[in-house]
Amino acid sequence: MTNESSSENMLLHALADGELDAATAVSVEARIAADPALAAEYARIIAVKARTKALGKPAVSEDFASRISAIGMPQKPTSSRAAIWSFDHPSWRALAASVVMTAFLASGGTYLVTSSGNDTSVEDAIANGHHRSLLATSPIDVVSSDKHTVKPWFDRKLGLSPPTVDLSADGFPLVGGRVEVVSGAPLPSLVYRRRQHLISVVAQPLKNGTAQNQAPVAKTVDGYNMVEWTGEGFTYWAVSDLDTVELREFVDDFRKQ
Amino acid sequence: MTRSDQSAELFRQVVVPHLADALALARWLTGSVHDAEDVVQEAAIRAFSAINTYEGRNARAWLLSIVRNTCFTWLAKNRPKDLVLAGSSADMEASDAEQQRDPALDPEADLIRRSESQAVETAIGALTPPFREVLVLHDVNDMSYKEIAAMMSIPIGTVMSRLARARRQVAAQIGRTTT
Repeated sequence: MTNESSSENMLLHALADGELDAATAVSVEARIAADPALAAEYARIIAVKARTKALGKPAVSEDFASRISAIGMPQKPTSSRAAIWSFDHPSWRALAASVVMTAFLASGGTYLVTSSGNDTSVEDAIANGHHRSLLATSPIDVVSSDKHTVKPWFDRKLGLSPPTVDLSADGFPLVGGRVEVVSGAPLPSLVYRRRQHLISVVAQPLKNGTAQNQAPVAKTVDGYNMVEWTGEGFTYWAVSDLDTVELREFVDDFRKQ
Repeated sequence: MTRSDQSAELFRQVVVPHLADALALARWLTGSVHDAEDVVQEAAIRAFSAINTYEGRNARAWLLSIVRNTCFTWLAKNRPKDLVLAGSSADMEASDAEQQRDPALDPEADLIRRSESQAVETAIGALTPPFREVLVLHDVNDMSYKEIAAMMSIPIGTVMSRLARARRQVAAQIGRTTT
């Protein structure tokens, strides 16, 4: 039996693996031919190699392959513009379908559909942004539980900063903030926490003509609970995997401040 | 075509064809087919965000090294007890010897009843991680000595000795169960 750690033994493996140059391979083969112990060891290496290889690789299910392919698709884009304009995007297809439908039923209603479709895209972008932030190494760009740190950070970064409220007494500590890109515009997103759940609050300055102080509206977007409301010059979207009751509680606390 | 379209296209060309290899490696490093899918999905997300660092050759080695790193982060998070950091080779030798002596880890009677491929799987699963990793990268993923050495940042000689030892242990295990 050859010494297990000898370089001669390793040469047998290298020969079996086709990792030897021709000259070395010839000389190792000659030694195998002359030594039955070496030949037995070599046969054993070949056998183990074949058996391991015979195990094969796990099958890639169609479902899994399409899940992975979807990572590269613009559903979870690095810029929300892609989410809005890609035809692959469900909301875009839904929008297209509803445009056709409306045109068919009542020409003239197109404006309404387009504007509500736009909102859907904004909500999708916000839900996607929240989702992506959970997958990222860190869901926040500025880590601080102090609103006096987060607010100036947004001011410096974006030139605007939404009211940053302290809700730790209500059980929703501030974790930090990040910048969300929605419809091509960078928007501040505050991140709060309840237990292990993160809540993103995206704020968009109100456009002229938008009604102030709209009451909160709850909805579900891409599997996340979302509440939208306006107040203090901003439209707010709170998105989280928290249940609707607790998210509503959060929104109420947020608006009270 | 926007830049993100190009990244998406590159991602599909580089990552998707090697998913079976990625799953095989993750399956053996985590020990579970189910966990392998989670790990590979996480690795694919990392690969997508790092697609710009892909140099345009050997997509499989590039992806597998991301899968390998993801496995370690995943193991550290989910099974901190199982994460065996490579110690000195003397340590490994000692633990190998222990494993072979311990009758509880060698349920021979049970193994004999199993099919051969199950015996091989069990034998590979019983290897300590640094040995198992080299064996899988080489004999399942078909990586060359040089690629493995580069991926693990170890000398080629170490790859060779680990591979030789891993195969010997698998052979010994199968030999005990099938003869």
